[in-house]
Amino acid sequence: MKFFQYGNEGYKSILDPRTKLLLLIVINVVIIGTGFTGTDYVLRVICAVIPFVLFLMIRRFRTALLYALVCGFMLLAERFLFPSTHGVLNLIIVITLGPFSRILVGYAFAYYMMCSTTVSEFVTAMKRMRVPDAISIPLSVMFRFFPTLAEENRAIRDAMRLRGIRLTGKNGGLLRQIEYEVVPLMMSTLRIGDELSAASLTKGLNAGRPRTHICHVKMEIWDWALVLLSLGFLFYMLVLR
Amino acid sequence: MIKLQNVSFHYKNTDAFGKQQRTRGVDELSLIIQKGEFVVLAGDSGCGKTTVTRLINGLVPHYYEGELTGSATVCGLDVASSGIGDLSPHVGSVFQNPRSQFFNVDTTSELAFASENLCVEPKEIHRSIRRVAEEMKLENLMDRSIFALSGGEKQKIACASVAVAEPEIMVLDEPSSNLDEAGVEELRRVLALWKNKGRTIVVAEHRLYYLADLADRLILLKDGRIAEAFDASAVAAMTEADTASRGLRALRKVPLTEPGQQSGRPDEDALICRDFDFHYKHSENGIYFAEKQFRRGAVTAIVGHNGAGKSTFARVLCGLEKRAKGTVQFDGRDWPVKKRPALCYMIMQDVNHQLFTDSVLEEVMLSMPVTIPEAHRREQALTVLDKLDLLPLKDIHPMALSGGQKQRVAIASGVVSENPILLFDEPTSGLDLKHMRQVADLFRLLKEEGRTVLVITHDTELVHEIADGVVSFS
Amino acid sequence: MDKKLNTKDLINIGIFTALYFAIVFIVAFIGYIPILMVIMPALCALIGGIPFMLFLTRTKKFGMITIMGALLALLTFLLGRPWLSILFGVCAGLLADLYMKSSDYLSIKKAPMSCAVFSLWIVGMALPMYFGYRDAYMESLRPSYGDAYVEALTGLTPGWTFWALIVTIFVAGLLGGFLGTRILKKHFVKAGMA
Repeated sequence: MKFFQYGNEGYKSILDPRTKLLLLIVINVVIIGTGFTGTDYVLRVICAVIPFVLFLMIRRFRTALLYALVCGFMLLAERFLFPSTHGVLNLIIVITLGPFSRILVGYAFAYYMMCSTTVSEFVTAMKRMRVPDAISIPLSVMFRFFPTLAEENRAIRDAMRLRGIRLTGKNGGLLRQIEYEVVPLMMSTLRIGDELSAASLTKGLNAGRPRTHICHVKMEIWDWALVLLSLGFLFYMLVLR
Repeated sequence: MIKLQNVSFHYKNTDAFGKQQRTRGVDELSLIIQKGEFVVLAGDSGCGKTTVTRLINGLVPHYYEGELTGSATVCGLDVASSGIGDLSPHVGSVFQNPRSQFFNVDTTSELAFASENLCVEPKEIHRSIRRVAEEMKLENLMDRSIFALSGGEKQKIACASVAVAEPEIMVLDEPSSNLDEAGVEELRRVLALWKNKGRTIVVAEHRLYYLADLADRLILLKDGRIAEAFDASAVAAMTEADTASRGLRALRKVPLTEPGQQSGRPDEDALICRDFDFHYKHSENGIYFAEKQFRRGAVTAIVGHNGAGKSTFARVLCGLEKRAKGTVQFDGRDWPVKKRPALCYMIMQDVNHQLFTDSVLEEVMLSMPVTIPEAHRREQALTVLDKLDLLPLKDIHPMALSGGQKQRVAIASGVVSENPILLFDEPTSGLDLKHMRQVADLFRLLKEEGRTVLVITHDTELVHEIADGVVSFS
Repeated sequence: MDKKLNTKDLINIGIFTALYFAIVFIVAFIGYIPILMVIMPALCALIGGIPFMLFLTRTKKFGMITIMGALLALLTFLLGRPWLSILFGVCAGLLADLYMKSSDYLSIKKAPMSCAVFSLWIVGMALPMYFGYRDAYMESLRPSYGDAYVEALTGLTPGWTFWALIVTIFVAGLLGGFLGTRILKKHFVKAGMA
């Protein structure tokens, strides 16, 4: 669950959330829809490089390095390992690596989005896109809630360890384990959810009423460049291929 | 400003059997609060002080449903007929739990949130944020992730986020529950600032010492009614006996006494921790010390400001941090990290996390190894429940219990697990005098049982009441 | 009672969608172990039933389940599923919503069935394997993944498995609903929280 940890301490990204959203979609379309040869492969490599550069720009050097290593290995495997092996060996390699090579880049980019965008930037961008409150409020609550869930889950797991409740332990049964972990999590969710609603209401959050945004969300030259690139990719994927 | 006339409110909820029931919030209560007044509401848990704060910000009756009679007006608005949204420009609310009162994940957005909802111009909001940040000395907290803040910092942000929108009235519901002494002092400074600016302030609180100099009126509630009211001079004149007889926490800061300073002489029997060294990844927090001793069969308080490593120490001692360096000696043997869960059992600050089953009895039996036959386990569990006054509750769901009862269930499961050491993390945060004393009595009981009790606490009144020794972290 | 969704409802949707998504996401991740891939959707539906049933105790108005389905599908779309999955999310949510509305969100008996219908949003995740693009998809895999993989995949997923998948997910969702009801009774009702 570290996946959803919000850790943007001072390094704001230069991209508009809308650009990020478009890029994420395009990256997924490309990575899932392309093969491992010719122009297809070039596109894959370009898409794979994007998250790496963006991680560097928000000074996530360790993440960038880790991503570069794993992703580099995946790209090389796709290019050389998949076509050069045969039979059972090929099957094993493809089944174990295949799904990961199809989700890795998209997930990395989604992770970048999570740690480079504040909830309020998201909300502002959604308002600009005329997303109704019925979608934007639940969505922003979700993003705010993921780290809380992670915190709660960590505390519950600690408590389980203190009590000696383990997944393969004495207190029998996978279902029982799920119950022990999920039920306290749901109890916390109910409690925190109630308190969160109450606090938000007293701060005047009111669905359907207009509100202002202090966030500065604007398409800059970088955004337009990436939008153009994305549209080019889409054109290739939908028309040229 | 605030006018409550013969107000009664009953919460609607369901009991453990799914039956509808009514719980009293306040009963025929009348209270008028003038503009610029600083009012403190005190009393036992369940006396109705939280309900009063909710009547002011409109959560009662619009969020927490129930029956409301009588008339409540705030800033000329009738609470029953206007929504929470109509009251929100006039009333700012700060709540007890720092984990659940933020809508945003970063501090600056949270500061702007209330003003944004009021459609204030962004430029204007930025100006207000700068002003509040300067007044409350928040510069180093701007643009931070809320999840990376300490409890004290979170509460400061909660206050600031209310202040940015400049409401006339501030209501605070047990704002100091999760704060250490330094955090309480910060909170006091903020409240003093607001008072000087002429805001109307209503605080419902157990911990009173930080409010004694600020309060224009102290109102003691009992069973949903006003039992007694004291003005500033009466508050100043109150003695320790006066507060204790009314079940109130001390009005003056109880100094941290260090009873029976332990001598440097090594104690063969003691719990000895040596060469502890542990730091979290990506964080400056951690602990490092050469040696600390805790007397066997005694209650030792562990004190120190936030970030001094008390909680980290607790986690290391319970074996929750696998990478931790250092040795633990107790009962004539060494306890490597893996064995420590059998040595030390922790009762967490939020006990909700450590309750798993659907009845109190089950909960306690869960802690015993299955190698013991079930009948035997049951019998042993019942004995322990009896000792902790939990026997009548044995079939109830632990989450249906009150906070204090939940804590006792957690203690009971620690007791049956036969860990020689029980460690408590802030067991009295947010407790009134009566419940604090109950906790102290439990510690006495555990001591008689021959257990070693370690208590991480900010509560100097508790230390004063029960601790045999104090170990401070810095 | 006001039939329009208010702020409290919207916050509740957000919170429960987060919980549901987190739980299903973790199950799905375990499901990436290739052997489990076939039963992964059913497992998601089964475990997802637990938080969903709790969510139903908080829904009293039309639209809440639909929005949850839409949000879940939107997130899975952003994580690389085909856009058709959004349609599945909205439709499954809408149907589950309508079904619960027929009893004004009061019937506990209808809840597991609603849960089963709702869990069909998961079908959207498995879409690229079927529906017209099946052959094209398989062919597109052939040059890069090799013959062996494509043969194995085709062998594992003949056309009828799509309907089998729907049925499995539906049944798993129903079981998840009953499991959720049991947990609700055992814990939340008993604790006075539902």
